[in-house]
Amino acid sequence: MEQLELSDIQGFLVRDYKNMPVSKYFLLEVLDATKAKVFVKEISKEITSVSHTTGNFYMNIGFTSAGLASLGLHANNIQSFIREFREGMVTPHRQRLLGDYNSSAPENWNWGGPENPSIHLMLMIFETSQEKLDEHTQQLLSKFDQNGLKAVHILNADTFPDDKEHFGFRDSISQPSIAGSGFEGLERDNIKPGEFVLGYKNEYNVHPDTPLIKDAQGNMELLPYGPDGSGQKDLGRNGTYFVLRQLKEDVDGFWNFLNEKSKNEDGSLNHDESTKLAAKMMGRWPSGAPLVKFPDKDPGGLSNDNDFVYTETDKLGLQCPFGAHSRRTNPRDNFEETGPAESLKLTRKHRIMRRVRSYGEKYVGSSTQHSPNGEVGILFGCFNADINRQFEFIQYSWANYPKFKQLYADPDPFIGVKEIPEEGVIQQFTIPRLTHNKYVDGLKSFVTVKGGAYFFFPSIKVVEFLSTI
Amino acid sequence: MTNQNPLTLLTPVREGSFFKLNEILEKFKVGLHSNLNEKFNQLGTLHYARWFILQENSFRDKTTLPVPVRLVFSSNFDGDETTHAEGLVSIFPEYFDELYECCEGYPEAPSRNTESRKNYLLKWKVKTAAFYVGAPGRSLKQIQQEDQLKRFIRNFVNSNNWHGIPAVQIKNAVKEEVYKHPEFEWAKKPEPVKSTNLGGMILMICIIILLLPIIIPWLLALHFFYERKDKNCYDKRSQLDDNLVKRLEEDEDLINQNQFTQVLVVKRGKVRLLTIQGQMLFARTLIKNLFVKGKLMGIPTIHFARWVLFDNNKHMMFFSNFDGSWNQYLCDFIDKSGWGLTGIFSNTVNFPKTNFLFTGGAYDEEHFLAWSRGTQILTQVWYSAYHDLSIKNIVNNTLIRNELSKDLSEEQAQLFLKRF
Repeated sequence: MEQLELSDIQGFLVRDYKNMPVSKYFLLEVLDATKAKVFVKEISKEITSVSHTTGNFYMNIGFTSAGLASLGLHANNIQSFIREFREGMVTPHRQRLLGDYNSSAPENWNWGGPENPSIHLMLMIFETSQEKLDEHTQQLLSKFDQNGLKAVHILNADTFPDDKEHFGFRDSISQPSIAGSGFEGLERDNIKPGEFVLGYKNEYNVHPDTPLIKDAQGNMELLPYGPDGSGQKDLGRNGTYFVLRQLKEDVDGFWNFLNEKSKNEDGSLNHDESTKLAAKMMGRWPSGAPLVKFPDKDPGGLSNDNDFVYTETDKLGLQCPFGAHSRRTNPRDNFEETGPAESLKLTRKHRIMRRVRSYGEKYVGSSTQHSPNGEVGILFGCFNADINRQFEFIQYSWANYPKFKQLYADPDPFIGVKEIPEEGVIQQFTIPRLTHNKYVDGLKSFVTVKGGAYFFFPSIKVVEFLSTI
Repeated sequence: MTNQNPLTLLTPVREGSFFKLNEILEKFKVGLHSNLNEKFNQLGTLHYARWFILQENSFRDKTTLPVPVRLVFSSNFDGDETTHAEGLVSIFPEYFDELYECCEGYPEAPSRNTESRKNYLLKWKVKTAAFYVGAPGRSLKQIQQEDQLKRFIRNFVNSNNWHGIPAVQIKNAVKEEVYKHPEFEWAKKPEPVKSTNLGGMILMICIIILLLPIIIPWLLALHFFYERKDKNCYDKRSQLDDNLVKRLEEDEDLINQNQFTQVLVVKRGKVRLLTIQGQMLFARTLIKNLFVKGKLMGIPTIHFARWVLFDNNKHMMFFSNFDGSWNQYLCDFIDKSGWGLTGIFSNTVNFPKTNFLFTGGAYDEEHFLAWSRGTQILTQVWYSAYHDLSIKNIVNNTLIRNELSKDLSEEQAQLFLKRF
């Protein structure tokens, strides 16, 4: 097994930093490249790698394609990066793939959209307390000022209470583990490192596309050679790509919709049924307990149970519907119609390392309590080596595509529903039952994209290299 | 059971008409959203169609022969090609006249009629080397009727409270309700579907075993004397021409289906030609006997696919109509049928490195994806008769129709009621 160079890989990829309840993501614009590079050099010594475990805080850094250009990386070298990263999240085709229309259209975003200032860098700091975070923020803001950087947007990114996002569900239970990282999970979740880190072999047993230096610049001594044996220096090794999307959650709308759809025949609300319907859509109960193990009732407490498959226990979707969010975004051993062993193999090629944090009021919704104060939502983040085959595939082919498996008109009820569907287009959620299917018609969108971007998270050596270009 | 057939026309473009033809195709593309689509729909037998211009620079690699500028038309239709061609030129002769006036030898206005137009088109027909149909035997009419039936049943089941009623009774109530409606009279009779031809498969395996003394030395010779000397594709997707990919993506994912058109140069020499022809024969046999239930080598998203060898077998085109995104489609190819794909396409130049014809190649993920994108060309006009149906939906709808008239056990009825 290839061992990862953990001290050169930014820590957030492998560690979830959940022990740091508060954090800020500073979205920065480079106003003066020379000064900014001084800052990058200085900060490169503070970036925390996977090996850092004892620090008082953690700090990671990402660069957009425009950011690399603004620091002076030659156009030919930028051209070596994967196209998704180079083009960014906002292109007409990508808008179709990701389903960013109507209220979620990039022109309505708070950051990252065409109407917003350019984003070049993202500095993330994770702290143990709000006081320390505030103090650190002040120091950084002043450093940005002195170093030709402008914070164009700052995102507060907190952990969730009991790991439950605002709709009320326990989040991020199912995660892959990166083989060779020292963090091993269930065998089926142990994924080859090249799915997440450049420079290592992926699930196809080949090296993922990595940005090789075409035009020498900066201190080339800092860079390793590429994996293809061509003798070109590699910007990618130990780096990865990070997808960030700010997703607003309409908690009130969500639960009102479910309460309405699960009313008793006499018109009164049935909160148990409402919760059950929500769980059917999620594939897990609010506690996190999987439906395939607890089909009738939430066992309560807090569950991290991820040890289950579908084919043996729920081939017909009677417990966990095929259209449920967690079943379609990680189909485990029930990928389309292939057999269990083949399915597990295929699913491995479409995994992401989710890094989701919260913004807005700390609030856990339920069928009876669903009115948070102000805007709430999640900062959805994920790491992957091939944005197209991993994040975009999951979002389009598994979540947005209404014909997943043998379904006819079922988008992912959480992240795939179109706010304004085309004329005549039905959006439904199908619940298989013993005798016949039940349908929830007229699905509505309760998640709105408020911002997003693709970032390159270089190795720590490459962060330093970027200060020398 | 109605047979679906392919038609490929390669019509030489008149000198000096290239730009005009491009403009017309662009106009047609826009027109697809309105009147042109309706005209195609009126045919009632056309599943998919496409037009594009093929020229020397459509090929990523240097062509073996000079390639004249040609207008390519491709369709998938029900019935025979003469009726199909007559239908095309009689339903909208003005469109065909406008397009093919840009082509060499199109009949002059006074002599144009259905017959002369049809004869002109068929004169440029190119033979299909292998042809796959996702739902063999399903005519367009059948697909549309079965879709309506499925919608009707779904709404009927959803509009009643069946609490505590066994599935058999629900299914019988569905049947009774459908049979009340004269528009579903046709649904009373099941429609036969093709099944795997075990005899054909056994025969094929026997023939392969008998031919092993030839096949094995052939593969060895291919490897040591050809594959080792091949120039291979080591492109990566990131290094492709951004403009080409952007132009391809402009037309992708607009609906739940997409199309793929690829043009390739066959490797030189008789050994490669015989190999590719042998592969086509192998593909035709598998398609006829084994891939008859909606999956091409395990890929469950392809409506129609076609390989065409042309220019005296020096060049090859591949067409497909499929569900979902390009990426999903290509990943399916690698994951489920990499060997089959490699066996065919490795006989075209500049393919990712292969060993013994069937290994390597498509399994070299990054280079294979880059090869696929790099050899894909722009399809200028594309028509699909049923945007909203996946091939899985189509196959499933026939099962619903056929099970409707049958007496089912409780367990079978439960499965029936979960099909929609």
